[in-house]
Amino acid sequence: MSKIKLFLLAVTSASIFLASLFFGQNTINPFTLQGAEKEILLSIRLPRVLVAFLMGSALGVSGAVLQGMLRNPLADPYILGISSGAALAAAFGLLTGSYVLGKFTIPLAAFFGASVVSILVGAFGWKKGRLLPERLLLAGVGLSFLFYALLMLLISVSSYEGIRRAVLWTFGDLSIADWSLIPYGLVFILSGIYISISRSKALNALMLGDDLAHSLGFSAHRERLLFFVSVALMTSASVSLGGTIGFIGLLVPHIVRFVIGADNSSVIPVSAVSGGAFLCGADLIGRSIAPPMEIPSGIITAVIGSPYFLYLLRKKDVLGS
Amino acid sequence: MSSDHSQPILELGGVDFRYFRTEPLIRDMTFSVENGEFIGLLGANGSGKSTILKLASGILKPSVGHIKLWGKELAFYGNRDRAKLLCYLPQLLDINVPFKVRELAGMGLYPYDIPPEISVDEALDLVGLLDKSESYLANLSGGERRRAFIAMTLLQGAGLLLLDEPLANLDIKYQLEIHRLLKELKDTKNISVIMALHDVNIALQFKKVILIKDGRVLGIGRPENVLNRDLMKEAFDVSIEIRKQNGGGTYLNYGDNP
Repeated sequence: MSKIKLFLLAVTSASIFLASLFFGQNTINPFTLQGAEKEILLSIRLPRVLVAFLMGSALGVSGAVLQGMLRNPLADPYILGISSGAALAAAFGLLTGSYVLGKFTIPLAAFFGASVVSILVGAFGWKKGRLLPERLLLAGVGLSFLFYALLMLLISVSSYEGIRRAVLWTFGDLSIADWSLIPYGLVFILSGIYISISRSKALNALMLGDDLAHSLGFSAHRERLLFFVSVALMTSASVSLGGTIGFIGLLVPHIVRFVIGADNSSVIPVSAVSGGAFLCGADLIGRSIAPPMEIPSGIITAVIGSPYFLYLLRKKDVLGS
Repeated sequence: MSSDHSQPILELGGVDFRYFRTEPLIRDMTFSVENGEFIGLLGANGSGKSTILKLASGILKPSVGHIKLWGKELAFYGNRDRAKLLCYLPQLLDINVPFKVRELAGMGLYPYDIPPEISVDEALDLVGLLDKSESYLANLSGGERRRAFIAMTLLQGAGLLLLDEPLANLDIKYQLEIHRLLKELKDTKNISVIMALHDVNIALQFKKVILIKDGRVLGIGRPENVLNRDLMKEAFDVSIEIRKQNGGGTYLNYGDNP
């Protein structure tokens, strides 16, 4: 990866991060901070921007890892059914209005739902002592349908206000961001990113096929299990922080590969930074367009990202002729 | 060690292999590879050539019998230690691998913390792909792609190469060049090779061939001895015979021509 691209990435990401900190419904001048403005910045803006960055990083890295370890360009963190389990559990909390654990209720419910589905998908994808890529994908798709059906059932019997909140949540609801949640998300997401970066050679080898990975000195099934666990933890942590946000996990890794190539030792860190910056920017746009109304980030990411992705798809010949 | 001279690099003893509750695919397979040997593994489709190479590389584990690498049970090696000694190249290479030629070749260095003496450029030069080092694999021809994987194998620098049909789908020019390249490596670096083949003409160029059928060894030895009319009939179910030309070369005689 060239130094110019690295420099551009760093400058762009830092600018987006700072912009989403200081702009929005109220513009904050960092040089004349005082009273209420300082309060808004520290207790509302900063946690929200950090959560957006963490979620975007987790989703970008998860997508890059899954596409590699399953050797499937259509894989994304939600194809394993993780989002459907999280959505069902979170919606249950939102629709029944039960807040037994206070502000932790919805995040914990989402994390619980995501983890349960991850374990189920892993169990169905397991055969002969290893995780098989095709089985994992099909188990994920199958379980997704089941859990989305249950979600629809839940929504169809619920009251109006609950439905609105639940639907917003499934497109990403960063307004629930809060300092108290960040440390938990940080632990899971940073360890997932660390594992993915430190095993990036193994991921490259897995992309050549299990037999070649073996020949190059990697145990394909052990590496795949490790990647699966770290993706499950990153994605579960991400949905519990701010709901399900599409597009980033699927398309950010592809855009990164279009621009810098497919070597995972670059793709994973760059997906982390650009996924994070991208979600920060999308959130900034979503809360700036028509305040005080907020447009869910999941809508913004798709509306901005998809045309750019399609443009790259036409322009580059990476996928062969 | 003085015993290295007599010790085979790879040794298969009484190896059976079967998938769970099925008929064995490999039965009582016994042979060894000496240092610097070049062995052609010949047999009809489905005779077990690929399975033998996967067993020898540790991808599959024998149901019965032992496989030893440098005198030590293959399964006891750590993954990276084994990768420095033994390298396997499958017959089918994924055409959708999204890497550049240079990136792929460089993966041969993964087992090492300190890279061996050969550089990525040298390896690409050896297989004639230096000018395409920045191309994506997806944009190469089938033969070029195979040569890129062979460059990776060269960088891995293992002393024993297990190659599954490495010459299939290659133009005759590259068949000859890769064959020449491997022989050169044998002379300069003393590597040993087991190569699965189905082309009898290529098998004739080896000093040692193993002819198999239904997972059993039909014969091991020099091709002119092993590839005789009876065994070829049994292995391939065709009448085929090696004839000596007046000039000393060999050729194949098909059918029942006198």
